[in-house]
Amino acid sequence: MAGIWVFADNRNQVLELLSAGRSIADGLISHLAAFAADRQQAGEYIDCGADKVFLLPELPQDQPFESLVPVLADAARDENPDVILIGASSRGKEIGARLAAALNSGLCSGCIGFELDSAAKTLKMDRLIFGGAGVQTVVCTQSPQIATVPPKTFEPALPEQGRKGDIHELKAPPPSPVRVLDRVPRQRDSVDITEAKIVVCVGRGLEKKEDLDLVRSLAEALGAEIGCSRPVAEELQWLPEEVYLGISGKKVKPSLYVGVGVSGQVQHITGIRDSKVIMAINRDENAPIFDAADYGIVGDLYQVIPRLIEELKEALRA
Amino acid sequence: MLRIVTCFKWVIDDADIRVDAESRKLNLARAGYKISSYDRNVIEEGVRIQEQHGGTLAAVTVAPPTAKPCLKDALSRGPDAAWFINDPSFADLDAHQTSEILAQTVRSQIEFDLIICGEGSGDLYSQQVGPALAEKLGIPCITWVNKLTFDEEQKQIIAHRKLEEGMEIVSCPLPALVVVLPDINSPRIPTLKQVLGAAKKPVHDVNMKTLGKVPEAHLRTDKILAAVMDRRRIRVAGDAEGIRSVVNSLIREGVIS
Amino acid sequence: MDFKLSEEHQLIRQSVHEFCDRYVCPIADEVDQEARFPAETMKRLAEQDWMGIPYPVEFGGAGADYLSYVIVVEELSRACAATGFILECHTSLASYPLFKFGTEEQKRQWLTPLCKGEMLGAFALTEPGAGTDAAASSTVAVLDGNQWVLNGSKIFISNSPVAGVIIVFAMTDKSKGTKGISAFIVPAGTPGLNIGKHLNKMGIRGSLTAEVFLQDCRIPKENILGGEGQGFKIAMMTLDAGRVGIAAQAVGIAQAALDESVKYSKERIQFGKPIGTFQAVQWMIADMATDVEASRFLTYHAAWCYDQGMPYSKEAAMAKLFASETASRQTDRAVQVHGGIGYIKGTKVERLYRDAKITEIYEGTSEVMRMVISGNLLR
Repeated sequence: MAGIWVFADNRNQVLELLSAGRSIADGLISHLAAFAADRQQAGEYIDCGADKVFLLPELPQDQPFESLVPVLADAARDENPDVILIGASSRGKEIGARLAAALNSGLCSGCIGFELDSAAKTLKMDRLIFGGAGVQTVVCTQSPQIATVPPKTFEPALPEQGRKGDIHELKAPPPSPVRVLDRVPRQRDSVDITEAKIVVCVGRGLEKKEDLDLVRSLAEALGAEIGCSRPVAEELQWLPEEVYLGISGKKVKPSLYVGVGVSGQVQHITGIRDSKVIMAINRDENAPIFDAADYGIVGDLYQVIPRLIEELKEALRA
Repeated sequence: MLRIVTCFKWVIDDADIRVDAESRKLNLARAGYKISSYDRNVIEEGVRIQEQHGGTLAAVTVAPPTAKPCLKDALSRGPDAAWFINDPSFADLDAHQTSEILAQTVRSQIEFDLIICGEGSGDLYSQQVGPALAEKLGIPCITWVNKLTFDEEQKQIIAHRKLEEGMEIVSCPLPALVVVLPDINSPRIPTLKQVLGAAKKPVHDVNMKTLGKVPEAHLRTDKILAAVMDRRRIRVAGDAEGIRSVVNSLIREGVIS
Repeated sequence: MDFKLSEEHQLIRQSVHEFCDRYVCPIADEVDQEARFPAETMKRLAEQDWMGIPYPVEFGGAGADYLSYVIVVEELSRACAATGFILECHTSLASYPLFKFGTEEQKRQWLTPLCKGEMLGAFALTEPGAGTDAAASSTVAVLDGNQWVLNGSKIFISNSPVAGVIIVFAMTDKSKGTKGISAFIVPAGTPGLNIGKHLNKMGIRGSLTAEVFLQDCRIPKENILGGEGQGFKIAMMTLDAGRVGIAAQAVGIAQAALDESVKYSKERIQFGKPIGTFQAVQWMIADMATDVEASRFLTYHAAWCYDQGMPYSKEAAMAKLFASETASRQTDRAVQVHGGIGYIKGTKVERLYRDAKITEIYEGTSEVMRMVISGNLLR
């Protein structure tokens, strides 16, 4: 049977994993399968490269999404996929870990990249350790080789006309003893910072909350969203948790990241390391961020930012 | 009587890690060890629940014998007893091996109602052992919990799960396993009496004789290197000239327009 | 000979370190610049069982060894020398005499609340005219019926503005010289006991130091501590024990100076390189590290002698002498390593420099330490 399977609890990640999965499927000469919530979504996944789509059963209101694990495990035992890629959302991480245990296989969690060894039919997968200071390369010695993949690790697959694929319905899972009593949606008052093309990030170098206005004018001049380092969200609470960037916060991949008064601790850098260009403004020439940046402006942000805004207006007008 | 088991790991203090920039080797020779910070929240949550509902509280770890100092550290934080599952080959276990060893020990020797695990270990951060252990023991698993209460009457737990889309509040009968987030509590600092009292608490030593064969690793580590950030590292002064040159570079690179 | 600290001692050090990161370091600068007594920290120290570390559990203490106490003072002082000193003064100067010389009743009534941290203690020996020359004391105590009446004034009495009880030394028989001094337990609020305003100090500014005035201060007869005429002996023995505590404080200050210097040497770039690559700075760091290590071993050894029940007077004096002079020298070097920024308030080494000096002076000046050590060898 075999197959390269991709699974995620949200559409965006499925599309990203489809593009990664496609390259593995081609390399191993296998088919690519995805899991969809309904036929419409299944159609989209087929357009984006899936050869086969499993339809997830609808769950009763009081069942958590993770109650699907037994169904996924059964399907895997029937079809023996070679590789399973799972989107590393919170739910995805639990599902991945439980699935790996149920199938008595191995799981590379937080896979940030891989190399396919077509001869050995294995994936050499990279993941971060020691808070982002190290990179561990692992190979799963069992089958299926399972990995959870953080959002935006891969580019989303694009639809192509005329693609065909099979759809299979999965049966309902046994009821889980875990019952959902309530769901409280997160208040989305700000734009999703992980979608932003340009991010201006505020660090502890900002002296007071009112000075965020200065940062906002810079963000406006750049067309950027505003994020922050952990202390600004958790301790000072000047900005909401949703926009703090770091190893335990959001990870972003903008074209441009501008750190304003950010010192650049490794936990924060882990959240921004994949930005195309990193720029930093800090008055401390020894701040670690300058080692992690492409462009570093050493100066007092209160003087640099107004000058920067002027230069930007000048240059972008031309 | 509520029997709570908390799992913790003895990890390298990543503040002590030295990096050789050229070879990209990580130098761990002089690194100290500590209880993974996520697991301090685990133990604290166990203590909190025991304070409210009574019962027993155990701290369990899988480690090489050199990790022995971790026991008094863990016991000084509140548990009544510790389980030291140890063998020299336990220095670099993967999540499958750790959860398998824990599962075997729990099945054969540790009675429990509630197992609490951390969101991940401070070193490898696989974030797998908790859910994998639940799966192997055949008990329900609730992950990413930042608020936990025990309903004595119904003998079930109510947990608040923090997910990307918001909070999911769930109930689950015991026995169950819960994976907690650091924001669930603020671990208290052991008092002097707690530190001195740790030596008097029982430690159950579990070794390979009891376990039999060490489970095989399901993940093979090919290499570990220091993470590099290959950046241009161009530095300018904050004057008009310097700023202008940066703006021009950004336009040239096409990141602003 | 085992040079390794026991697991318990390591855990104690770790817990104080965490405590300092959480509660002491964030307010250390403010405590120093505003000369503010960190009352909230005192409460937390009590919750951690650190207010009566070497004293028996039956009197509210933790029943731990002196080395544990030394480690706590060292780590607290490393974060904030004032906080470390407040604890040391309370534990060594106020509680020790009660522990060693108090009756069961006195221990129950006074040592217990001190060990539990329910009240702070102070030790009033020094007078305007009697510092190193303690026998030149002019505070007197006269027995009147079933009360002692105290008259006189004391100066540089730490913790006195916030103490619940003060151990006061007074002359009961001037003709006997030092053998005419007695010790008394004087509760705060006793009529006739007045605490002067706070003295404005160079360093350890979070600790409150004031003059203490006794004007017909009447205390019950039972409040004499030890026998009549035992006061000087009590004071000297108390100071011996206290010296190990001050040595620990000095080690903490010196260690902090070293930590800051190492950090700064790696980060500060001049001539395109971290200054830690220049030999002049490397040698300063090497000397600092060696001296603080030596100070630590002398201090731990003195504490060990105390715990073994061996004589430790000479060892305590050596530890305090060496550690305090190291702290002064080291903090001076640390400011030098930092250059201009080391001179600015808000930079930790600026505070350390001012904090260090007093360790060479109080609880017996370095000159007295030399007297004690040579006296031990040449007698």
